[in-house]
Amino acid sequence: MTRYAMVIDLNTCVGCNACMAACAMENQTPVWKGAWRTYVHEKEIGVAEQVRRRFFPRLCNHCDNPPCLTVCPTGATYQRADGIVLIDPDRCMGCRACAMACPYDARYEVTYNDIRVGKEFYGELQRTSPSMDKCSFCAHRVDKGQKPACVETCVGSARQFGDLDNPSDPVAQLVASGVAQPLMPHLGTRPNVYYIDDMKRKG
Amino acid sequence: MNTMTYTTQHIWTWWIALYLFFGGLGAATLTITFLTDMYCRPHRKLVLWGALSGVVLLGISSAVLFGHLLHHAAVIYVLNPLVFILKPDSWIAWGTQFILWMMVWGMLYALPYMRETPLFMRIPVVRGILQWPLVNWLSACCMKRRRIVGWLASINGIGTAVYTGLLIQSFPAVALWHNPGVPLLFTVSAFSTAFAYLLLLLNIFITDENDQDIRHRYERMDLILIATELVILFSFFNYTLSGSESGYRSAQLLWGDWGWLIGFIGFGLLVPFMIELKGVTRGWRGRFPTVAAAVLVLMGGYLLRHYFMYAGVYAYPW
Repeated sequence: MTRYAMVIDLNTCVGCNACMAACAMENQTPVWKGAWRTYVHEKEIGVAEQVRRRFFPRLCNHCDNPPCLTVCPTGATYQRADGIVLIDPDRCMGCRACAMACPYDARYEVTYNDIRVGKEFYGELQRTSPSMDKCSFCAHRVDKGQKPACVETCVGSARQFGDLDNPSDPVAQLVASGVAQPLMPHLGTRPNVYYIDDMKRKG
Repeated sequence: MNTMTYTTQHIWTWWIALYLFFGGLGAATLTITFLTDMYCRPHRKLVLWGALSGVVLLGISSAVLFGHLLHHAAVIYVLNPLVFILKPDSWIAWGTQFILWMMVWGMLYALPYMRETPLFMRIPVVRGILQWPLVNWLSACCMKRRRIVGWLASINGIGTAVYTGLLIQSFPAVALWHNPGVPLLFTVSAFSTAFAYLLLLLNIFITDENDQDIRHRYERMDLILIATELVILFSFFNYTLSGSESGYRSAQLLWGDWGWLIGFIGFGLLVPFMIELKGVTRGWRGRFPTVAAAVLVLMGGYLLRHYFMYAGVYAYPW
């Protein structure tokens, strides 16, 4: 079996936002209203000479026990055997319960207006139905043997993508070593995005 | 601490509060009127007022949610009764079916009474429908199996009231919502507001002196439910004070807000409790105090849901 996961090293993320741009172009997200599938948060931590800037990329955590999937009333949110959580936009009625359930703020709205604007913005838009949207781990690229767009473009190699069920995969080894940890594991969501903590700039 | 971000949400706001309020109120109204009609005494007027206004309230609730959907056509997937097989883990799927079947069984329960009521037989289109052979047959069946229809409606009504709390409980990131007290609180509140609403009807529109026993019974029940709600809210206060930062911040938002303290706890619970307590123990000469208490309970019912939605705090590690 394959079980996809991502490891993000907060020590090497320089906050260039290339991942956001690559993702937006790949997945045609409504960036004009500040909605992104992946977003890099910036935060200044500390005071005076000690102040540091921390960059924190976030995205859908493709949880093994995803609360967004459980609350979805139409079955629009579903999970593949490889762990990737996807949305069928034609089936999504846009009740937004998934956005409320997600502890990682990974969901955003795509409205009828966004589809109209998107056609002008991107030239040709793949999407036809409004829905709640989120990161798909670039499943269409992964299926072709490619890496997700954000991983491919990351200049500092802060993002790594791999298979947790393959012991020789560097991602599986990082997770197994305990260096990379998931966010808020106490919520029981069993996330598949892991973070290597920012040791120098930690608050 | 400064590596975390704490924030409230702006996704489900006043319109979900309205959805939960009208849904709970409508469902509990139908349930109470049918149980009264089945086990207290047959009451045509109460059933007609309760059933029809209950269905209207459920309709308003559903319309508020439907109006805010992003993709209206996809609602067909959740209206399909087979959704129980496809998505048995989704409370919205259960809730939609509860509301839908509550309306169907509610109308069927009221049908024989509608046919007996001259007002309905005077409205041209309604009279025409009520005289259809199929409707005649349905009415006869419902009359024969009155308690079965009444219980089917009541089970769906109770299900709807509980669902309004279970829906909010299913969001794990927010301590204020993700706890077993929420379905309990929302169910108690739904039935309390329904008793208040029926007291309004029984004091303004159905002013028969013979209904005094029902009025007293409803007032007593509302009093007990308000007291229960106060106990649950006190336990929420204790629960949110420690245990998680999300819960503590929700406590600060709620208990530091005059709208919650004075508007909901004060005028929405304590004042009607005092008025109803005097009504139950010593009685009032006029109807105004009971009507005023009922209006305050209804206002409090909405405020509870409104503040609950706005006070949920997410804790993000960025």
